[in-house]
Amino acid sequence: MASPAATPEPSATRELFVGMFTEEHQILSVAKDATDSGLPVEDCFTPYPVHGLDDALGWKRSWIPYASFAYGCFGLFLAISLQTHTQFIDFVPFWKGWPIIIGGKPFLPWPAFIPVFFELTVFCTAHITVLTYLIYRKKFPGAKAKVHIDGVTDDRFAIALDPTADNFDEDEARALFARHGVTEVLTVEGRA
Amino acid sequence: MAAVSKLREPLVTGGNPKLAAITDAIVAPMENKPSKLWWLAFIPAVTLFVTGFTTIGYQISEGIGTWGLNKTVGWGWDITNFVWWVGIGHAGTAISAILFLFRQKWRTAINRSAEAMTILAVICAAIYPFIHMGRPWFGWWWFAPLPNMRGPLWVNFRSPLLWDFFAISTYFSVSCVFWYFGLIPDIATFRDRTNKKLKKIIYGILSFGWNGSNRDWSHYEIVYGILAGLAAPLVLSVHTIVSMDFATSVIPGWHTTIFPPYFVAGALFSGFAMVLTLLVIARKTQKLEHIITIGHIDNMAKVVLATGMLVGLAYSTEFLIGWYSGSNYEGFIFFSSRMKGPYAWAYWTMISCNVISPQIFWIRKFRRNLTVVFIMSIFVNIGMWFERFVIIVTSLNRDYLPSSWSMYSPTWVEMMEFLGTLGFFFTAYLLFVRFLPTVSIAEVKAVAAWAQPDANHGHATDAPAAGSAGAAAGVLTPSPAAPKEEAHHG
Repeated sequence: MASPAATPEPSATRELFVGMFTEEHQILSVAKDATDSGLPVEDCFTPYPVHGLDDALGWKRSWIPYASFAYGCFGLFLAISLQTHTQFIDFVPFWKGWPIIIGGKPFLPWPAFIPVFFELTVFCTAHITVLTYLIYRKKFPGAKAKVHIDGVTDDRFAIALDPTADNFDEDEARALFARHGVTEVLTVEGRA
Repeated sequence: MAAVSKLREPLVTGGNPKLAAITDAIVAPMENKPSKLWWLAFIPAVTLFVTGFTTIGYQISEGIGTWGLNKTVGWGWDITNFVWWVGIGHAGTAISAILFLFRQKWRTAINRSAEAMTILAVICAAIYPFIHMGRPWFGWWWFAPLPNMRGPLWVNFRSPLLWDFFAISTYFSVSCVFWYFGLIPDIATFRDRTNKKLKKIIYGILSFGWNGSNRDWSHYEIVYGILAGLAAPLVLSVHTIVSMDFATSVIPGWHTTIFPPYFVAGALFSGFAMVLTLLVIARKTQKLEHIITIGHIDNMAKVVLATGMLVGLAYSTEFLIGWYSGSNYEGFIFFSSRMKGPYAWAYWTMISCNVISPQIFWIRKFRRNLTVVFIMSIFVNIGMWFERFVIIVTSLNRDYLPSSWSMYSPTWVEMMEFLGTLGFFFTAYLLFVRFLPTVSIAEVKAVAAWAQPDANHGHATDAPAAGSAGAAAGVLTPSPAAPKEEAHHG
């Protein structure tokens, strides 16, 4: 069952030791127990985002919001530069316009710039955040998943252990799965 | 876990549905051949779409003179239709984002199709300023400097029309991203169950390699939340800025500070009405009555009632200020021109459709009667179209100089173009219904499970998933051990 290679990285494929469940509460409790008992939990696979699963697995909250904040700042900076440059200041060399006189109104009426500040901030934050997610999770058109477990996009919940890890104990894992009402235990091949 | 009130009806009816049955029901229209009814709707829609867009071609080659506009009434059906479509495009993202932030779980059954509707409505809206330019191939000077001898002449960022360009393009692209981001797991669900080779390849490409991994879900939910947090103020900003196209002018009847909230309420009002128009039919033809339940229709009818009364409040505020401001011009527009002028019929159509008729939604029986809800939703669609017509045309047709007063009526070109956008809207919506899951499968599963009792799960050992052959569309298998009254905690 367990692959003899201690380091899975160089090989083209790797195995996962998978327990299949049919209920949300089963995956929550099995994930918690497996993590608590020190089994090498690689991942869980669920048809919908199961709330509390991250806590059960002891995973940290996503770092993406911090990046989003930076993208928002970038968007705001872009909007400020765009409007001040085009309306008055002309700080980009070789691309100078001239201050546009409209009814003798002030050249830099900042309240009039607020709508575009807001829109460009939202535009940049939303798009770059999603792009960050897609790149970080390697999701792009035509991407192939590393592992494919039948049924987890429909009505099955799966927990995957890493059988090559030192702390993996197959008997313990099987017993733990059985305690939580596992329907099937299988070994799934995936790309490393 | 949160407790669910016994008073509240379950979000997915029909007993205690298995997760696979939810998938089966939602993807059934994608797997089966389109029904006669679908073709019956699709063929006229495509016909309208093609004729309307041919008319746009004619209008662009001939010029804006093919429209009925004149010197006094410079905005007519074009901007009326623009604002009407943008308004309709508000419900989708409001449902997806604002109801998401308020944790209104009933949104899950309707958000996907409402978002699709949003995107299509915004496309229809965007056509109008574009063709209104007369020479739309110069449209890119909206954001690029106008070349001339003195150096680049940039657009005027003090103009609300420019703000609107930024607002609508941001809204459109963020709505598209939000919609597609939500679709990814559901496309993967379909990819994994279809037996057809070509579909497997296409949906495989579109599913971005989704495999249900919790490492993906963990960040996914956060990103979805960020998008919702951004989209919620964005929805409000869009119609606020559309209203400023009018409110920053000095035309009596437009120059009012009530406009931003008034327009936002009106947009939600018409948006929810259009969602009702589509879903009352779609839930029936797609056999999704247990997912888009009568409770969902009831909730939307309540939103229509509430926003309708906000719109009514805005109408009366305008009249109050028309009188209280002491401005003759303002008073004239409201008390003479709109109520009694040549377009009074349009004004009273608006009042009866938008303010008077939605009052029947105070009665629960009517909110749950599909015929009444459908007819009312059509009334609101009509009423909100007339609202924009009244605002635009009755303010313009009698301006400061009585010698320049003028009437406006649309030409066949304007009418055909409007029908063309309706044709595009329904064509694209019907294609969406055919090729993509119209209800968010993953999210409905989450709320269905949430509403279920932990016990009474009788399907532990049987049935692997993903048997697409012979999927009984819409037939859920209630678990006999769990009648719906027991759905009290999750």
